[in-house]
Amino acid sequence: MTGSGPANFDPADFELRSRGNKFEDFQVGQVFRHHWGRTITEADALNFATITCAYNPMYLNAEFSLAHGNKALVVSPMLVLCTVVGLSVEDLSEAGGPFLGVEDCVFTQHVYPGDTLTATSTVLSARQSSSRPSTGIVTWRTEAQNQRDEPVLSYTRTNLVAKRARA
Amino acid sequence: MIAQEPTSRGPLSDLLGPGTFFEDYEIGQRIRHARGSTVDEVENQFLSKLVVNTAAAHFDEAAMEPMGGRLVFGLVTGSIVIGLATQDTAECALRELSLTALRFTAPVHHGDTLYAFSEVLDVGPAGQGDAGIVKFQHWGTNQNATVVFECQRSVLIKRREFWEQR
Repeated sequence: MTGSGPANFDPADFELRSRGNKFEDFQVGQVFRHHWGRTITEADALNFATITCAYNPMYLNAEFSLAHGNKALVVSPMLVLCTVVGLSVEDLSEAGGPFLGVEDCVFTQHVYPGDTLTATSTVLSARQSSSRPSTGIVTWRTEAQNQRDEPVLSYTRTNLVAKRARA
Repeated sequence: MIAQEPTSRGPLSDLLGPGTFFEDYEIGQRIRHARGSTVDEVENQFLSKLVVNTAAAHFDEAAMEPMGGRLVFGLVTGSIVIGLATQDTAECALRELSLTALRFTAPVHHGDTLYAFSEVLDVGPAGQGDAGIVKFQHWGTNQNATVVFECQRSVLIKRREFWEQR
């Protein structure tokens, strides 16, 4: 069997492969092991620190960082947080709605160029929004590890999450 | 301008400006940080993709045009606000310890400009003698002085008496 080929392209013939979860997809206690992982390079660290104006030489000057007993240039903790949230977006918030807040975000240890981050989240609560019947409010606990399975970051995050459209 | 007195600053401290050792922070001190940053392609489109934030609301202008254009990823906003505060609040940091009470209080779009404000909430000892912990409240505003981001942040900061001569 063969497809109809390039002569018959009409976008309407294609089924959307959608991404992300809706409010009904979250149950308290459910665990998401997030996709991909991300190795942080020195280029990532310097791009992020310079673009965000993170002017602590620990994030900019490898020799300065080494002189403070670190193993290398330190990766800006905000890059670690952004990357871990990024890894979690498809599972938790891509189809959902606005970011409401983050609590209790702890940077457990430094991340260095060459480290690889992976992340897991657990649903802490999922409740109806009293003011917006088409949405719920979901809170997750996220924990991130490096390649040695050592904790580097944990936090609690809350978003508005859209419900499925009524059929 | 803060006058630089001749000191016996060591080569590490020579790379730093004045006024950011632990002893320089007092509870209640409020700092309006010197620089703002406009958020555009490099800040939002590039950084959102760099950190594998897969939500196309941050990088699909055509889809987002009816909603005022691409939405800036909240943690890109937060990272820039904390970044703009960093020279004054963490130039002497050994470690950034924690954040809490992060709030994204208004949407940010491409072309908006962010400014940062900080207040010292607390100063206290750390588990090591060469540094102390300073807790800050940070605010980020846009060009219309609307608050778009808030958070609290604890930073482990070098003590002058231990580090200035290094």
